[in-house]
Amino acid sequence: MGNTLLEALNVRVIGSGEKFLVLAHGLGTDQSAWQRIIPYFRPSYRIILYDLVFAGSVNPDLFDFRKYTSLEAYVDDLLAILDALKVDRCAYVGHSLSAMIGILASIRRPELFTKLILIGASPRFLNDEDYHGGYELSEIERVFTAMEANYEAWVSGFAPLAVGADVPEAVREFSRTLFNMRPDISLFVSRTVFNSDLRGVLGLVKVPCCIIQTAKDVSVPVSVAAYLKRHLGWPEHGGKFEH
Amino acid sequence: MPTPVSTARQCLTPEAAHALDEAVTVARRRGHAQTTSLHAVSALLSTTPSSSLREACGRARNLSYSPRLQFKALELCLSVSLDRVPSTQLAAGDDDPPVSNSLMAAIKRSQANQRRQPENFHLYQQIQQQSSMSCVKVELQHLILSILDDPLVSRVFGEAGFRSCDIKLAILRPLPHLLRYSRTRNPPMFLCNLTENSDPGRRSFSFPFSGFPWFFNGDENCRRIGEVLVRNKGRNPLLVGVCAHDALRSFIEMLQRRKDGVLPMELSGLNEICIEKDVSKFISENYKEEFMNSRFEEVGKMVEHCLGPGLVVNVGDLKPLIADDAASAEAANYVVTKLTRLLEIHGGKVWLMGTVAMYETYLKFLSRFPSIEKDWDLQLLPITSIRPSMGESFSRSSLMESFVPFGGFFSTPSDLKGPLSGSYRCASRCHLCNEKYEQEVTAVSKGGFSASVADQYQFSLPSWLQMTELGANKGLDAVKAKDDGMLLSARITGLQKKWNNICHRLHRTEPFPEADIHQVDSQVPAVEGFQFVEDRKENDDNYSSNNTYASPNGSGCKNVNSCMSMDLESISTSKPDVPFPMVSEPKNESLLSKLLEKSSRIKDLEPGDLRSPRSSFSNSSVGDGRTSPTSAASVTTDLGLGIFSAPTTKELKIPNQTHRELPKDNSLSFSANFESVNRSISNHQALSSSCSCPDFCGLFDPRDFKTLFRALTEKVGWQEEAISIISQKIACCRTRNENRHGASPRGDVWFNFLGPDRFGKKKIAVTLAEILYRSRENFIHLDLCSQDGMIHAKPIYDCQEMNGYNVKFRGKTAVDYIAGELSKKPLSIVFLENVDKADLLAQSSLSRAIRTGKFSDSHGREVSINNAIFVTTSGFTKGSKNLSSRKEITNCSEERILKAKGWPIQILVGCLDDNTRSCNLSVSVFTAKGISDPIFMNKRKLLSSNEILEQHETLEIAKRAHKASNMYLDLNLPAEENEVQETDNGNPDNDSVSENSKAWLEDFFDQVDETVFFKPFDFDALAQKVLKEISDSFHKIIGLECLLEIDSKVVEQVIAAACLSDRTRVVEDWVEQVLSRGFAETQKRYNLTAHSIVKLVTCEGHLLEEQEPCLPPRIILN
Repeated sequence: MGNTLLEALNVRVIGSGEKFLVLAHGLGTDQSAWQRIIPYFRPSYRIILYDLVFAGSVNPDLFDFRKYTSLEAYVDDLLAILDALKVDRCAYVGHSLSAMIGILASIRRPELFTKLILIGASPRFLNDEDYHGGYELSEIERVFTAMEANYEAWVSGFAPLAVGADVPEAVREFSRTLFNMRPDISLFVSRTVFNSDLRGVLGLVKVPCCIIQTAKDVSVPVSVAAYLKRHLGWPEHGGKFEH
Repeated sequence: MPTPVSTARQCLTPEAAHALDEAVTVARRRGHAQTTSLHAVSALLSTTPSSSLREACGRARNLSYSPRLQFKALELCLSVSLDRVPSTQLAAGDDDPPVSNSLMAAIKRSQANQRRQPENFHLYQQIQQQSSMSCVKVELQHLILSILDDPLVSRVFGEAGFRSCDIKLAILRPLPHLLRYSRTRNPPMFLCNLTENSDPGRRSFSFPFSGFPWFFNGDENCRRIGEVLVRNKGRNPLLVGVCAHDALRSFIEMLQRRKDGVLPMELSGLNEICIEKDVSKFISENYKEEFMNSRFEEVGKMVEHCLGPGLVVNVGDLKPLIADDAASAEAANYVVTKLTRLLEIHGGKVWLMGTVAMYETYLKFLSRFPSIEKDWDLQLLPITSIRPSMGESFSRSSLMESFVPFGGFFSTPSDLKGPLSGSYRCASRCHLCNEKYEQEVTAVSKGGFSASVADQYQFSLPSWLQMTELGANKGLDAVKAKDDGMLLSARITGLQKKWNNICHRLHRTEPFPEADIHQVDSQVPAVEGFQFVEDRKENDDNYSSNNTYASPNGSGCKNVNSCMSMDLESISTSKPDVPFPMVSEPKNESLLSKLLEKSSRIKDLEPGDLRSPRSSFSNSSVGDGRTSPTSAASVTTDLGLGIFSAPTTKELKIPNQTHRELPKDNSLSFSANFESVNRSISNHQALSSSCSCPDFCGLFDPRDFKTLFRALTEKVGWQEEAISIISQKIACCRTRNENRHGASPRGDVWFNFLGPDRFGKKKIAVTLAEILYRSRENFIHLDLCSQDGMIHAKPIYDCQEMNGYNVKFRGKTAVDYIAGELSKKPLSIVFLENVDKADLLAQSSLSRAIRTGKFSDSHGREVSINNAIFVTTSGFTKGSKNLSSRKEITNCSEERILKAKGWPIQILVGCLDDNTRSCNLSVSVFTAKGISDPIFMNKRKLLSSNEILEQHETLEIAKRAHKASNMYLDLNLPAEENEVQETDNGNPDNDSVSENSKAWLEDFFDQVDETVFFKPFDFDALAQKVLKEISDSFHKIIGLECLLEIDSKVVEQVIAAACLSDRTRVVEDWVEQVLSRGFAETQKRYNLTAHSIVKLVTCEGHLLEEQEPCLPPRIILN
């Protein structure tokens, strides 16, 4: 059963260490995002890499719009992968969306995680009364509208391309637009992310966490990292790195 | 009779008519007598500039081909099929080629489809009143969809690598400009409505699914809450999160609306009372205690009188309970105590629900009431997504429903959906019946029979009803049901729990179920829906009259329904976990045998307690899940029926079954099935009992020790002692059995092969199968160690079986696999490797088998092993001394050979003068590998001990290469190699085998008929031989001047291949025919001098087709 999932999400296990290390990428990328840091971990860890289901490298047909409506579905995926690989303990590095997934996963199965490393994590992107998440609702709506506009452009550009299938250039373009991460999926995922609010549950995390926050992060203000640190059940370090 | 074009055109919208005209043109140009669907497709694909069909193909096409190629293929296939149509001379001045029957049928189909379109419904109803149906104008999209249904057309697409169902989906899927439904009123929500808004002033289209996340999140939250509610421990959810309160509210709303679809079945009919306001008022405004008291009394009464599963007490936000001032604290204390009491008194019938926005609040609460978590049996539930902000209307629409009008479209759901969509189906089941549920509630509230609210969820996979019938319980249960509504509801609850569990199993633990599970899921909603239809029509208390299941005067639906109510009765007591393990088992056989077993169990049960048929049936439907329903006929009922037919047989696939026929068919085919199972099983039993001494028909007499010995020695010459013991034992056992005429003569023989030489063990076992049972087929092979090894790079030793095991029996336990195989081929050698790694299940199963002669699978079904020979192997011995992991003194360890893979072999030519490293890159790779691998050094020595290196002074080379390689130390190390090494070195079995299983193992070993010790195979000798063979050939062809280096991997691979092969001279032949040709080619191509080094290396990365180590049929030259 697990194999299908492992294949679908391009799960790879590399490295020669004993301890498991999960590297989970964020929105808009795939596992190749970790490519450059893998060599550092390779000798001492067994690294588990996978693509989240919305990644461009995963067959978009597998993205089920009815299933991936909340982060819980992604958590299901992650836990299913770990179970399929028979991982009983692992460290988890998650970037942005994946950091949130890691938080939720560790709440559900605290025994599975030795440590969470949260890079650019944010429990909530939208501003609230006494919380600065970095985005106003109106801004988000604007972003979504823009994305939809892109989608429209994609759609309307689609038909002519389909017709000109005999022209090699057009064909190439055709396939390129078709097989990269589909805009509808990315929009959908973004909506899911912006609809999530993890603030209330941070205290439930019983796993040591390490928060890594870059100084210039377009989507996550530094105050968010402080918030995380304050509210996480067991924050170990709060690191701050200049980029 | 072909239809004139003009007549056909009358049924079409201008757009579609235009398409038809194009098709006619195509047909005319080709001189064909009729315009067929193929012509239409041809026209649709080629002419219109924004051909929607072409575009849909583009999206539905197979990703593994280039789009251009596939379109070309499509065009080719199409033109070929068109060419096949006989062309006729059209009479001069004749009209256009008339529309063929098939195309006309497609038009008619789309008419029918369109008529069922909800947004067209009003329109067509009006029209209908005025004139006949024929004036429904078919729109182009519907026409295309219908044409794609044409078998001729779908064959053409199939030949080009398209699947017409994919194309249909692509057409339907939201590329909004395709969907042009004019809409004047607010129609029910459908996919098309979501994706397009035809009002010109507004945005011309909206994003697909854009409304979804909210409402589905709501459902998701509700679903999770429901999951907590049904638990035994920690059953009172405390929602934690900023949006928890909203989630709770939407959950309550859902309860109030009786929208139980999202919730587990057994919770349907759950009542709810909110005391949030009372509590907060009471605490903050210092209300009188009497008020609160009376409120709690009220709650208590409600609990006592409520029907259905119970009452949810909604406490709301817990914040008021942690107010700081003394008075409030006291009030809070009072409330908490009261609530605790309530839970104590009413136990299973009361649930508490509360929320906290922040975990910190909860901690505060906890510090004030330290034992609250236990007292209230709380379960914290993190809520992280915002509640649905969209209208209710959204949640009722679902993709599933929107597809309903396109009958037949969903016939292959597993094809349409990727593996990730498991939960989707589950969810959709719920959505499908939401709406119906609401209507049902209305109906019920009028009827006033409360139990039937839950009733609609009795679901049940239909054919099993007939089982109930078989059980001769006709009518009894149903009558009882009528008499005792409460009892019914209680039983329903049990039933619901069970089903709910099924659903959860599928949904949660197997987020990626395989196709058959999809099928189950998809069947379920339909059955429910169907049943609902009946339910509604039905009077609540006429169960007994309905119960005339077999009587022909009731309509089919009714029959089914009445049976369902019977199911309800019979299932309710069944154990909840019975059916699950079966779900993932696609094997019909096991299902059937299970069926039989179940039915036999029925007899043991008291009459009326038909628990088992149900589970067995759910299984059968899984097994037959492939027969996907078609539902080309009318809307809801038909869909239900169509799918309903699925579990039984394929013959029911024909659409347009009349209602009356269906249930009958079911019962017939089912009982036929059942009978055949009976027969086959009894046959099987007869077989096994009759030949307790198996008939080794001719060929070989097992009693003849010498024959056996000779045959085995021929194959595995080096294990003479072992063979002698084995053949003696077999001969002896057979004689024993023949002489014994006891009540239960045992024909099974148990061997335990200990020690190294995996190849030898397996070869002997295979040979035994060949000799004793006359076929390699009768060899059941399972490596008990491989089951956990998902990420271990498994030794490639004998991949075929292992892969077969992995692929076919994924998700099956070892015992199930063995039992399944054994029931298929009772005359078999069962070869179980690494028996010391057996899991508990396998252990107990094996122990039982060796004691009783019956092998039981994980469900307790037993298979006779009377005619089987069990061979278990292990590196483990009685004295806990581990033979296989003992220090290998040889150069070529067995582990390394077992790891060998089937790489292609390559010849590289290097030059001695240059720096070895720079002159040929692959040198470094070669040596780096060697370094990582201690054997390499041994190999070096081995080589040098051969005359190859002796004749040339150049030990230096090795040194140089060695030096070079240091720089490459671990970067090139393939990860899996390390892992394997690790597992090789790091699993001395003594450590890994727990005490428990060690004890078992010893016990088990004591019971086997014979324990055979194997000698280690002398791989070194073989390696020497191989090396000698190769170097001889090399020297013969290239001469003595050149240097030959052989990668240790090559040697290992050759040895492995030699070991696996049945022939004796396989290496010699290979060297003679393949390698020497490679050398000759090298000689020809490169001007080999005395300074040349010829390297024989494996070419990793392109595995030969079979992963098994084999000798590549040709050598790659570089």
